[in-house]
Amino acid sequence: MKKFLTKIAIYTFFILLIGNGIAYLSLYVLGKSQLYKNQFVKNGVKETHFDYVVLGSSTGLTTLDTKLIDKTLNTSGLNISMDDTSLSSHYLMLQYFLSLGKSPDQLILCVTPGDLQNPVNELNNNDYRFLTEVQDTLVYNYYNRMEQGGLKVLTYSKFMPILGVSYYNNELFYPSMYAFLKPTKRNRFDDKGNYTYPQIENQIEKGIVSNIETSYLNPSFLKIKKLCYQKGIDLIVYQSPIHRTNVVFPNTDEFKIINHSRILPEDLFFDNIHVNSKGRTFCTLAFCKEIKWIK
Amino acid sequence: MLFNSIEFLLFLPTVFFLYWFVFKNQLLAQNVLLLVASYIFYGWWDWRFLSLIIASTFLDYFIAIQLGKTDISKKRKFLLGISLVGNLGMLGFFKYYNFFVASWIEAWSSVGITMEASTLNIILPVGISFYTFQTLSYTIDVYRKEMKPTKSFIDFAAFVTFFPQLVAGPIERASHLLPQFYKSRTFEYQNAVDGVKLIIWGMFKKVVVADNCAFFVNKIFENPEGYSSGELFVGMVFFAFQIYGDFSGYSDMAIGLSKLFGFDLMVNFKFPYFSRDIAEFWRRWHISLSTWFRDYIYIPLGGSKGSQGFQIRNVMIIFLVSGFWHGANWTYVVWGLFHALMFLPLLLFNVNRSHLITKSYGWLDFAKIGVTFLVICIGWVFFRADSIADAFQYLAHMLELKNLGLTIFYKTNANLMIFGLSVLAVGILSMQELVWVIKKRELPKISAFGALLLVLLIFFMGSFKNQMDFIYFQF
Repeated sequence: MKKFLTKIAIYTFFILLIGNGIAYLSLYVLGKSQLYKNQFVKNGVKETHFDYVVLGSSTGLTTLDTKLIDKTLNTSGLNISMDDTSLSSHYLMLQYFLSLGKSPDQLILCVTPGDLQNPVNELNNNDYRFLTEVQDTLVYNYYNRMEQGGLKVLTYSKFMPILGVSYYNNELFYPSMYAFLKPTKRNRFDDKGNYTYPQIENQIEKGIVSNIETSYLNPSFLKIKKLCYQKGIDLIVYQSPIHRTNVVFPNTDEFKIINHSRILPEDLFFDNIHVNSKGRTFCTLAFCKEIKWIK
Repeated sequence: MLFNSIEFLLFLPTVFFLYWFVFKNQLLAQNVLLLVASYIFYGWWDWRFLSLIIASTFLDYFIAIQLGKTDISKKRKFLLGISLVGNLGMLGFFKYYNFFVASWIEAWSSVGITMEASTLNIILPVGISFYTFQTLSYTIDVYRKEMKPTKSFIDFAAFVTFFPQLVAGPIERASHLLPQFYKSRTFEYQNAVDGVKLIIWGMFKKVVVADNCAFFVNKIFENPEGYSSGELFVGMVFFAFQIYGDFSGYSDMAIGLSKLFGFDLMVNFKFPYFSRDIAEFWRRWHISLSTWFRDYIYIPLGGSKGSQGFQIRNVMIIFLVSGFWHGANWTYVVWGLFHALMFLPLLLFNVNRSHLITKSYGWLDFAKIGVTFLVICIGWVFFRADSIADAFQYLAHMLELKNLGLTIFYKTNANLMIFGLSVLAVGILSMQELVWVIKKRELPKISAFGALLLVLLIFFMGSFKNQMDFIYFQF
């Protein structure tokens, strides 16, 4: 028995040593790349000051084209949105962005009505992308707060990177090999952080428009608002088009709202909540007009 | 509790420690521990399921005791009848009640008669088919006077619920496993090392092979019309590896875990995809079930003795029952029928045992292996499809050979990655098993370095995010 347990202990030690070594290397390589948005912001963006940044999930990533905004308004902007995320991740991204010594004058926060009124924050599907920064207290605390269940694979990756890297092996381990070969490769966004859906005929059904009233219950939204206030950043809430939906925001003087939920013609939708490439141009130009008016 | 869960990662060392350190050399205490641990393991799914397994245990324990007390044939038959009715009744009710009601209504509606009958909201207890057959083997063996009834309820209950093989086999014979509970067990180093290696190999098959393949299998079988002939073909082959990795992986882990506690379970799989015909496949696939049917149904029916018609009848019965054992759906019955039809020509031409005398593998054997594998894969389509019509549609669409494109596998980066992993995993599994088949091994033999490498492969190739339940739990 003693021999058996000794061997099990020795092999476990070696497996953890080799496994964690590989996982650490994987995160190191990924951390030096520009593959995901947080790595891009850190390694691919040299500027430190921006007139504005666009922050949101897939709607933020694909609705407002910062290149077109900059060309139209002669500004300097960046899109730091990440698909499949919510306000909790946006708050983390904003904190992370600021912690890198970068700052914007305005924050264009792209919201969705459901997320805005959701009082409960949970881990989002693409939050693992911050795992390269798990040693950063900001990211570690975020994982620790958000992760539920017995084994917090992302949180404990601070001490055992093999946990997160093996759980998200398709998303982190294999992409890190790719990033090793092509460190400047970006995962579905351009050099200003934008992505566009293709111009295809959508399959969405026509029908009557309904109103959705939203509210500001999301604790992460309140934190973003507070952070903006503290850092002197002008917060603008942006609602992208939603098919057959008119989003109604409660009146507020605390921040500005640009509501594009009903401005888009049917054929410029990619699906019910995303715009196609022509729709993106349409929304961006409409946004430019309104932002001029707001200024 | 799943073998590949965090709970089990804590459960196993705890039981192991108590078993070998606290209750060392105390046979009764060790058996009580195994019984309690097995109830916890099983009750983790749903504690209500425990009532069934306890009822089945009590029933067969007392019936066997009564069988041991009497030689009166009529009374013995009556007692056996109670056990059969009790066990098969429970199995029938929980597994087949809704199926029979639905089939009855459907049969009448096909001739224009509308009938109304309500189905029940019954939860299928995990592994009910496995432990029912295991307890039945005990009662039947006692009835046949092939073994004596045990007086120890603890030993018998521990045998019925033995957690390593409780929910998905191997279906152990009482004559093989139960006596192991009577004897004191000592820790054997080599046995334990072999057990750990088997657990690792089983985990590799489940987490790396089966769960990666399942990603595409689920997509393709959900909507076969949306895929090309090429994609359907790959989907079919991937399912063959999914179900093999899933089920044989579980068996390997069960055998390995048992070794850690000083028990020896029967081999359940002998590299079945290297079979040269269907007869050989059934000597290599789910051996504990096929031998159960052979010993308790096929041979009592007359086996391969008698006229050809008699033999055909017996073969048909055994394959149909085997299909039906798997689940309450006609697809399983058709799967059984398909295998019966593939097996019958071998029986009729008296070549169903020819593989037993072949000593080594030549090129012709590998060609036979390829053809047999394709036949098995076609059978799996019936097994996996939601209905018989779906299965035929799947096969028809696949055999149209109109479009051989494999777009789904590289449509997104994630798909391409999982496809690559699946192919690599299947390749590793197949090459390794080929080596063992050529070396005529019955069980995997893994070096210490190989085991270490496998663990790393599990970590970096395993599908943890898309983890699937073991397929055979539903049976």
